[in-house]
Amino acid sequence: MTSHGSLFDIMGPIMIGPSSSHTAGAVRLASLARNVANGKVSRVNFVLYNSFAKTYQGHGTDKGLIAGLLGMGVEDEGIRHAEEAAKAQGLDFRFTVWEEANHYPPNTVRFEMELENGETLTVIGHSIGGGKVYISRINEYNVSLKGEYPTLVMFYHDEPGMIWRVTKIIAEQNINIASLTCTRRDKGTEAFMAICLDSLLPDEQVEEIRRIPHVYTVHNVDKITS
Amino acid sequence: MNKFANFKDLLAYCETENCSIGEAALRYEVSLGDRTTEAILQGVQTILSQMKDTIQSGLLSEEKSMSGLSGGFSKKVITFVDSPTAFLSPLEHKMMAYALATLEENSRMKRIVACPTAGASGVVPAVLIALAEEKQIPPEKLQMGLLAAGLVGEIVSRRMHLSGAAAGCQAEVGVATGMAAAAIVECLDGTPQQALDATAISFKNMMGLVCDPVAGLVEVPCVKRNSVAGLHASAAATLALSGVYSFVPLDEVVDAMVSVGRMMSPKLKESAEGGLAQTPTALAFTEQFQKKEK
Repeated sequence: MTSHGSLFDIMGPIMIGPSSSHTAGAVRLASLARNVANGKVSRVNFVLYNSFAKTYQGHGTDKGLIAGLLGMGVEDEGIRHAEEAAKAQGLDFRFTVWEEANHYPPNTVRFEMELENGETLTVIGHSIGGGKVYISRINEYNVSLKGEYPTLVMFYHDEPGMIWRVTKIIAEQNINIASLTCTRRDKGTEAFMAICLDSLLPDEQVEEIRRIPHVYTVHNVDKITS
Repeated sequence: MNKFANFKDLLAYCETENCSIGEAALRYEVSLGDRTTEAILQGVQTILSQMKDTIQSGLLSEEKSMSGLSGGFSKKVITFVDSPTAFLSPLEHKMMAYALATLEENSRMKRIVACPTAGASGVVPAVLIALAEEKQIPPEKLQMGLLAAGLVGEIVSRRMHLSGAAAGCQAEVGVATGMAAAAIVECLDGTPQQALDATAISFKNMMGLVCDPVAGLVEVPCVKRNSVAGLHASAAATLALSGVYSFVPLDEVVDAMVSVGRMMSPKLKESAEGGLAQTPTALAFTEQFQKKEK
């Protein structure tokens, strides 16, 4: 439980109903998935698990997910008409209900996305109540991404000096690092770094990081704005 | 700045500083460092305006929700006030109708203020807006009322997740009722002690409330439960303002709620596996609804 939260989290947020976990949470989760994609999503299959699978239409979870992927916020009245908006904006969507037993939390979605540039991206995320969400997986990698800060997520080959190379580029932009998580599967194999920043890193620097030898993938994920 | 570890701490602060709970809430929010006093009050006013807008757009609407389970009840209640059989005052009719209007708008996927949650979003707005209209509460006072409600909810939220899934409806409509009771006392210039007594009395009567939504939807019993909860808060505030106090202090009442929440079966925590959700009528609806969904 958070200590000393803002009163605006209690007397708020202003949102489209009916459920903070199933509607607002769905919008926020899809916004975060959109930020991971960092580009226009042209096609998506939303795979719904557990409670999301059972009551997604009654709670407008489906509309919320589409709306979030289109860039709407939790208080956007366009959420009600998200399907039409998707058609207008060229987002091809479908829903798959996962019926088999699984170990995921109650409100889970797997976003199977195809981006405009032809790349595919799979993101798994969860809505944990009160509109709070997190992403636990990007493609084949486990992550923990809450969307509270702009976050640089990168996967690379475990080599000496990687943190230095990356943080040097961030420091040169005078951007403050809020937190840094760094893990690896095994010595000298694949490693993962998540750097929470006080502001989003410009594209040019992200490209610079992508050019560092032994870097596999970099996602420059903006925070959720509403 | 004091961050109020518990309600006792808050009360001591109010007594030392000779300030209301709303004022203490404002200072608390300032102390978090993200917003100035002016920005906070502006934010509070935005919330109050949204609460009012939601009530206005929903009050006379007869549009049904997506499931068809709710919609159109607020209009019945607000027009019933002119009927010869009406026996409560316009204030109470407004409170009941405004909460219905808010929850019905919520079910229609319209814009609401989660307070503290979407499923409990009717109670605080209904009480505050009806009181402002019928008792001529000025906007500045109303802002203080909402801030007091916010601080009550915040202190509870440190000990209990405010969700039906975590602790049953006592954590949603239950907490909203206690927040609303404190807001009423604040708006009517009661003492901080009276505000917290009103909250304690509300919580004691809401303790153990289960979350048993039909078909898992935020409609039955949520819509009507919000409606009645405003009167519950009013009754608790009336007791407190008249000098009735809670034998068990608020902090201990909250601890008891937390403990009851832990003892509660998962079947009674938003899973639709117990209570009203398992009645023959609810099960028949659920089956039909799920067929339609597929």
